[in-house]
Amino acid sequence: MNREDELFLTRDFGLDHLHRLETYVSRGGYRAAAKALKTMTPDAVLEEVKAANLRGRGGAGFPAGIKWGFVPRGTDALRYLCVNADEGEPGTFKDRFLMSHNPHLLLEGAILASYAVGIRTAYVYIRGEYESIARRLETAVSEARASGWLGDHIAGTGFGLEVFVHRGAGAYICGEETALLESLEGKRGHPRLKPPFPASIGLFRCPTVINNVETLCHIPGIIRHGAEAFLKRGLPRDGGTRIFSVSGAVARPGCYELPTGSSLRELIYERAGGVRDGRKLKAVIPGGLSAPMLTENEIDVRMDGDSLVEAGSMLGSGAVIVIDDETPMTLVLEKITKFYAHESCGQCTPCRVGTAWMARIAARLRAGRRRNGDVDTLHRLASGIKGRTLCPMGDAAALPVLALVAKFRDELERSS
Amino acid sequence: MVSLVINGQRISAAPGTTILEAAREAGIEIPHLCYHPAFPPVGTCRLCAVEIEGLPKLEPACSTNVKEGMVVRTESPRVVEARRNVLELLLAEHAMDCPICDKAGECRLQDTYQAYSLAPGVYAEDKTRRGKKIALGGGLLLDRERCVLCTRCVRFLESVTKTSELGVFERGDRSEIGCVEGRLVDNNYSGCLAEICPVGAITDSDFRFKTRAWFLEARETICPLCGRGCAVFLESHPGFPRVPGTAKAYRVRSRRDERVNGHWICNVGRYGYGYLEKSRCRELAGPLAKTLNLKAATDVVAPLAAELRALKYKGRQTRVAVVLSDWLTNEELFLAGAVFRRDLEIGRCHLVGPRDGSPDGMLLTAERSPNRAGAKALGFNTEETTLEALARDTDLLIVFGPFLQDRFRPADIASAWAGVKTKVLFTPRDEGLGAAFDLVVPTVWPAEKDGSFTNCQGLIRSFSPALAPPPSAVPEWRLLTALGRAVGLNPSFYIPFRSAGDVRRAMP
Ligand SMILES: Cc1cc2nc3c(=O)[nH]c(=O)nc-3n(C[C@H](O)[C@H](O)[C@H](O)COP(=O)(O)O)c2cc1C
Ligand code: SF4
Repeated sequence: MNREDELFLTRDFGLDHLHRLETYVSRGGYRAAAKALKTMTPDAVLEEVKAANLRGRGGAGFPAGIKWGFVPRGTDALRYLCVNADEGEPGTFKDRFLMSHNPHLLLEGAILASYAVGIRTAYVYIRGEYESIARRLETAVSEARASGWLGDHIAGTGFGLEVFVHRGAGAYICGEETALLESLEGKRGHPRLKPPFPASIGLFRCPTVINNVETLCHIPGIIRHGAEAFLKRGLPRDGGTRIFSVSGAVARPGCYELPTGSSLRELIYERAGGVRDGRKLKAVIPGGLSAPMLTENEIDVRMDGDSLVEAGSMLGSGAVIVIDDETPMTLVLEKITKFYAHESCGQCTPCRVGTAWMARIAARLRAGRRRNGDVDTLHRLASGIKGRTLCPMGDAAALPVLALVAKFRDELERSS
Repeated sequence: MVSLVINGQRISAAPGTTILEAAREAGIEIPHLCYHPAFPPVGTCRLCAVEIEGLPKLEPACSTNVKEGMVVRTESPRVVEARRNVLELLLAEHAMDCPICDKAGECRLQDTYQAYSLAPGVYAEDKTRRGKKIALGGGLLLDRERCVLCTRCVRFLESVTKTSELGVFERGDRSEIGCVEGRLVDNNYSGCLAEICPVGAITDSDFRFKTRAWFLEARETICPLCGRGCAVFLESHPGFPRVPGTAKAYRVRSRRDERVNGHWICNVGRYGYGYLEKSRCRELAGPLAKTLNLKAATDVVAPLAAELRALKYKGRQTRVAVVLSDWLTNEELFLAGAVFRRDLEIGRCHLVGPRDGSPDGMLLTAERSPNRAGAKALGFNTEETTLEALARDTDLLIVFGPFLQDRFRPADIASAWAGVKTKVLFTPRDEGLGAAFDLVVPTVWPAEKDGSFTNCQGLIRSFSPALAPPPSAVPEWRLLTALGRAVGLNPSFYIPFRSAGDVRRAMP
């Protein structure tokens, strides 16, 4: 087998019982952990991940190695790893795919991250609805403990790690990293004011690393095959593969793992089978609901962070939602605004009031009760939220509305 | 120190200061709702967003620290536009019942809107009806249609009283303040909630609908109701709505003093102001005069001085006993010492104050007097005494303050003191005690005079009148000065005392 194929997270996903430790180990599982713990210093692991320039897969695309490097070193003060398995961004379903098929891959990634940063306790904050996956993860944790891949003295070394699975209670905002910390501490899931950043003051006021499930799943491959191999698969600055969750009006919705930088058009038309029922493509949301939508003539874009920013959107969580020509934009607008109004934590004024106001206008547009000036008001409200809120959720709520208003203004103004 | 520029003005501030605080010290006010200097910033109302040169976004002034060379604009078009936007959002769902809102006139939302926006509302959606007049406990009422969700109340109960009775429930625009698990607010600082609420969401039934805030005149004074002596504003107004008359206290508010009470006062001090009016010895010819021999101080000083002198020279031991109180100021106690102990050599100068209560572990002390520490420092005997001890070999008994009644029943006083020839009471109020006296002279409460108190921490703080006294009443320091002069044993000592401040300067 081609060694580099091992860099594909989903390589073995066709196997039966991959979620069992024996199967995982038989496919080379925990070899990266053994290599790191026995032959590499924590710094060497950190340097390798830095060299791989692994960009976060949770939404913000921040390089994982740099984030780990922010945690103060040279002390043995308590610090934590939080695995963000909240997967709340509408359209995104890749983390559940990874965790249900291969929970040990995530655990191995967590071991490596913890070893590099000097962490001895990790929490997996998992979306509440993922009850069976949480159970599967818990089983994996017990298996790993029983065979010495978790607990004290992992692989006979001095390094130890405990992993706890914590289920959320169904709030999108708890996927935002600081709200996640609050929630994990047993408080309301309200995002914290930053700075301080979690790397200095995080969970229980200790330095904390927060990474997305998919981000951590890439670590074992990077350690086994090296940063260079990782960077070769994908783009030179944004390496590795990504799992794209494709949904909406496509013939074959699902998770597709492709090298970063693959073409969006190919993803939709070649992998996902094109637009369903012979309809035409009207718009695509390329990175989860928060990503500004692209129109049919904008989809010749590479699926990597920088290219999508250039195209006026973002890669976000890599969730691609395809909208066909029979879908009225008032419906899309209503869905988007209703979601954010429902999920705003309510702390800060622009997001709390602005999202609710936008949702009310959108509901009227959808119901055919448009008033003059509605579209301008939408634009004004979204502009008043963008860049002016405490956490990035404000932008998440404003950007898709701004894009929709800019690109489909005529259609909205024709609605009645 | 860090040097920065705010609105073109060069200012310097200590490192770690926020832009909002640094600006405030330089006299530049940045509007805000959720920020309160007693709590760490939460940065949620977004009203304080300012422009910082070199940064793409507006940043909250409440939570951004000053940096060397920073250039900040708090009134630029971008900032004002964002501020207006936030105001518009806050008012979109606001009750807009300002005409019947207690907070009108001192409402941060109203003031900021007046200063920055005055734009007509464009909100055309149906407003959500939310709960009004929700009893929170402690006489507080919550109006959710006015609430701006600044969470000051929640944070106060979390970090100051640590009782956490209130919380935020639901999320998004359904968020609302409510009692946690149905438990009502119940602590000795609950009154602070109505005060820190920046809008009229939490109102206090003690003040509700009594007057409009803009009629009130706030004067600085010190709460006399316990040994802490919290800094307060006493707010009065001549009557409702604009009828001239005697100023009446309507409300007591906390006044920031980092050495003593920080930002807070307890409910005893906040709601206890009723004593100012209650059973007041007010008019000499009023209803009290039917049962008491009420006399003005001016009419009493000369005969009293004559009697004191006569008794001093009558025997080896003066046949006079004096009861003072720890509600008197340092200046008054000093003068009392000069007149009674030094000049007249009266040995029996006792101190009787109100009974102790229980302390609350925060500000409220056990002693319910403002100047016990001052009285002790001036060498007064604060031990308990008996009615019999005071009456023994006594021809003249002079009592300051109404507090004997806190310890003895008036009937017992009358019978124990039946043999004392002359009994004079100087007091601001009478609730039956005066009947045991031959003469009752109206005096004033601390809020109505000049003076200083020494609090339980040993801090000496002076104050001036916050309220006009009843016309017949005279402050004790003035009375004691006149008495000292009239007794005539050391007249020149008393000549310079034209104010409590003069007395203070003469004190050791
Ligand atoms: C409103 C909001 C919701 C988010 N939800 C998720 C989520 O469900 N899962 C996730 O991994 N990251 C989510 N994020 C991003 C996290 O805040 C954070 O950036 C991420 O977990 C970091 O991991 P990474 O660097 O590995 O991507 C969310 C961010 C925001 C603002
Ligand atoms: S932007 Fe929205 S979700 Fe984020 S803190 Fe403010 S109200 Fe909460």
